[in-house]
Amino acid sequence: MRTSLGMRILVLCVHAVLLVGALFMVLPMLWMLATSFKPPTEIAVWPPQLLPQAPTLDNYTGMFVVAPFGRFFLNSLGVSSVATLSVAVTSVLAGAVFAKYRFPGRTFLFMLIIATAIVPSESYMVPLYIQLIPIGWINTYQGFILPYLIMSFGIFLLRQHVSSAVPTELLEAARVDGASEWWILGRVITPLSGPALSAIGIFAFIQAWGAFIWPLLVVNNQLYFNMEVGLTAFQFKFSADYGKLMAGSVISVLPMLVVFLLLRRRIVDSMALTGLKG
Amino acid sequence: MASVEINGVTKTFGNVEVIHGVDISIANEEFVVLVGPSGCGKTTLLRMIAGLEQITDGEIAIGDKVVNDLPPKDRDIAMVFQNYALYPHMTVWENMAFSLKMRRANPGTITSRVNQATGILELMGYLDRFPRQLSGGQRQRVAMGRAIVRDPQAFLFDEPLSNLDAKLRVQMRVEVKALHQRLRTTSIYVTHDQVEAMTMADRIVVMHDGRVEQIGTPLELYDKPANLFVAGFIGSPAMNFIKGTFRREGGQAWVEAADGVRVPASADVAARNGEEVVYGARPEHLDVVAEGEGIPAEVAVVEPTGAETYIYGKLAGVQVCAVFAERYDFKPGEIIHLRPKVAKANLFDSGSGKLLN
Repeated sequence: MRTSLGMRILVLCVHAVLLVGALFMVLPMLWMLATSFKPPTEIAVWPPQLLPQAPTLDNYTGMFVVAPFGRFFLNSLGVSSVATLSVAVTSVLAGAVFAKYRFPGRTFLFMLIIATAIVPSESYMVPLYIQLIPIGWINTYQGFILPYLIMSFGIFLLRQHVSSAVPTELLEAARVDGASEWWILGRVITPLSGPALSAIGIFAFIQAWGAFIWPLLVVNNQLYFNMEVGLTAFQFKFSADYGKLMAGSVISVLPMLVVFLLLRRRIVDSMALTGLKG
Repeated sequence: MASVEINGVTKTFGNVEVIHGVDISIANEEFVVLVGPSGCGKTTLLRMIAGLEQITDGEIAIGDKVVNDLPPKDRDIAMVFQNYALYPHMTVWENMAFSLKMRRANPGTITSRVNQATGILELMGYLDRFPRQLSGGQRQRVAMGRAIVRDPQAFLFDEPLSNLDAKLRVQMRVEVKALHQRLRTTSIYVTHDQVEAMTMADRIVVMHDGRVEQIGTPLELYDKPANLFVAGFIGSPAMNFIKGTFRREGGQAWVEAADGVRVPASADVAARNGEEVVYGARPEHLDVVAEGEGIPAEVAVVEPTGAETYIYGKLAGVQVCAVFAERYDFKPGEIIHLRPKVAKANLFDSGSGKLLN
């Protein structure tokens, strides 16, 4: 009896701690959402109040007047989609080759690709920018998307997955049956790489959607801004339009939220597959 | 249908030679089994025939065509793999039709061939299932069906029954053999199980350390093994080996084993008086005799299986096994007397291991 009561108290305590932690995690998001519906007079009020007293949609309607946010949203969507597709294709191509084909220098080449993952992107942004100037890719979509087209971690993950999940006998059976190597890649290896491709796709999409430093550097024409860079339109030298900033942030986060709600099981499985936190 | 000729085939991986100049001639419609312990090179040889491994030296011909430089798809062979290698994202129908689709066969031809193979292998009702929805035996039959629809010159089987349980293995063995008798397609079958080899093969190729030890019919290998390795590998329980010195006196011959025990041998053997030999006697070729008429043996374990009685004991300082159709009631520790059937015994040279008689 005493043990049962003690166990129940322990469980309650754990739940209480987790609830507090969850609140800390979700509070900034809730505050962002609430602030997006507040008029300017309620945003800086003290003491701060979570819920808007006079909710308004002015921040949402007004942000499209200040800057072309529809265009920013479409840019984000386009860039992220292309990046996701490119990362998936290049990862499965390179990953399958490293996993299933022997050639001189294979190990060295693979190590070289992995080594690029160790280098932080901020360290090569400026050299990359300088290289884009003579070829006229500053302020262009291709200049924007370039660093997000290939993910060395994706190649690593696909190589590991194909090595373990695609039996070599399957490829050999296909060769005996008359399949070309391209057919084997497209109709045998790729379908069997679904879980790993989903994981990489999700990471590639999130990475490209949340891109900020690189697009801020490489584009200064509003036509090419993504959502993250577009939000800077509401930040001024000494102040910020917090209402519209929060509204823009909500819209920026919304696709990620939808993706997560639809694919939360797959995202969790993907994280388990990669052994990484999100 | 075609013959398969393997002439002086050698295979090296880096600096390591794993197949040493193998010569095998497989006739049209023949069912040949490559058997040997793990690492003997049988699967590597099969993969070279299939074109999945490069040949370092030598020649392989299927029919009249030398296939050394041909890719697997152009050799007109079909292969059944140990782990089935079924495409998991395709149905049974799609798996079986796959190779014909690759060759852009007529849809009518595909349908008729798949239906024919399905009928032979009793897979009707499973055509819409995926491999994960099938049992091990069903998957293996689908793998065989995928090979059958090709109507190839030769079937290659790479230990297809290894992943099945013992009972299913026996059943599938019969099915594979029946299939061969029906289709009469030249078949090369790799296994490490000598029982499979003995029961299925027209001829057996025993391999060891990348070399062919002996080629012959199952009974040839069983009755006249070419050397100690073949003698010990073929047959279950294994042949009993007794080391000793060959003696010939008058018209009599025997092998003098440990403790001066005399094991009767045939005088018609190519062995010299005083030569060190190994006496081989199969378990079923030992008879129980009265005291004074045979060699004393101490019983260790008695295994009655119902159909036979297995007696394990020590004879001339060596652990032996004797198999009897009779139901003996011997007790552990009991001394019995055994006499080998001299006409059935084999004598091997102690140094080279080669058969002397």
